[in-house]
Amino acid sequence: MSTKNFSAARLVGVAFLFLWLAGLNAQAADKTLKLEAQLVLGSNDATTNGKPVSPQIEKKLKRLPLKWQHYSVVNEQQFTLAKDESKEVNLSDECQITVTSLGNERVKLTLQGNGQSVGNITQELKKGHVLVAGGSAGNTIVVLRQMD
Amino acid sequence: MTQEQQLKLQAFLDGELAESEAREILAWTQRDGAAAALLSELKNTRQAMVQAEPHLGVPETREFFWSKIEREIRRQEPAAAAAPGASRPAMLRDWLLPAVAAGALVLVAAGLLVHFNVPKPAPETAADADTPTVETTLANSDATTYRDASEGTTLVWFSPAADDNPAPNKKPTAIN
Repeated sequence: MSTKNFSAARLVGVAFLFLWLAGLNAQAADKTLKLEAQLVLGSNDATTNGKPVSPQIEKKLKRLPLKWQHYSVVNEQQFTLAKDESKEVNLSDECQITVTSLGNERVKLTLQGNGQSVGNITQELKKGHVLVAGGSAGNTIVVLRQMD
Repeated sequence: MTQEQQLKLQAFLDGELAESEAREILAWTQRDGAAAALLSELKNTRQAMVQAEPHLGVPETREFFWSKIEREIRRQEPAAAAAPGASRPAMLRDWLLPAVAAGALVLVAAGLLVHFNVPKPAPETAADADTPTVETTLANSDATTYRDASEGTTLVWFSPAADDNPAPNKKPTAIN
């Protein structure tokens, strides 16, 4: 390669562009998640008291193979998680969850019933996506989503 | 005819003589046939040269034409500087800066590789980022996963392994 045609300034520019892109990527991986956890009661009684879930959540829940047709919010909590940070959330006396942000919008949800760990779910939770967890105890489910 | 007389004729033809002198030359050419012949020859030669002279025009403006010449001079200057005995700043510009830039590129590439490889994603997540990893922590328990990719919804249902009647009203089937 002829040094005459070799543009050092251009090469340095490309290097800085890569650095900037890498910085953006790292920023996306480390961004703080704004999450909302809801304890949702499922019922087939349309007159169930309580705040109904949002239409968006209801639409998603009704497409799931659950036996209920109506869903209302028993408790909801909003919280933020930095990368590698965990948060314990008490949704009821019987239902607790622990949510950990793993970076790149991946979360680990640990479901607890009556203080006993039931299981862990690790999944990417993008905005608009919903993670629903439930067990054989009661008519409640946990809905976790990233807030807009 | 002397050389001085020939030059006088040329000067007469060019209109460089005073009026009185020009009249003398004119009278001389009318008397002297050789002088008249030389004058005629000089006229023909000048006319031929004027007609044959190429009229070259530059399509660009004078400033633009000069700027092209200037750029070409500058373009050729580094080649001259790179010749044996080139100055130290020129060598710095030609070799050290590209070397530093190339080194920076290598470092950035290495950083990106490290960034994307550590921590390495689990094989199942690498295959499909939407696939949840589910782990049951209770003895004799099971977990069923149902995915609605179009709605971006994942349902994970934990139930005792022996429980034949879980809450889902039908057997969950993963859909993609």
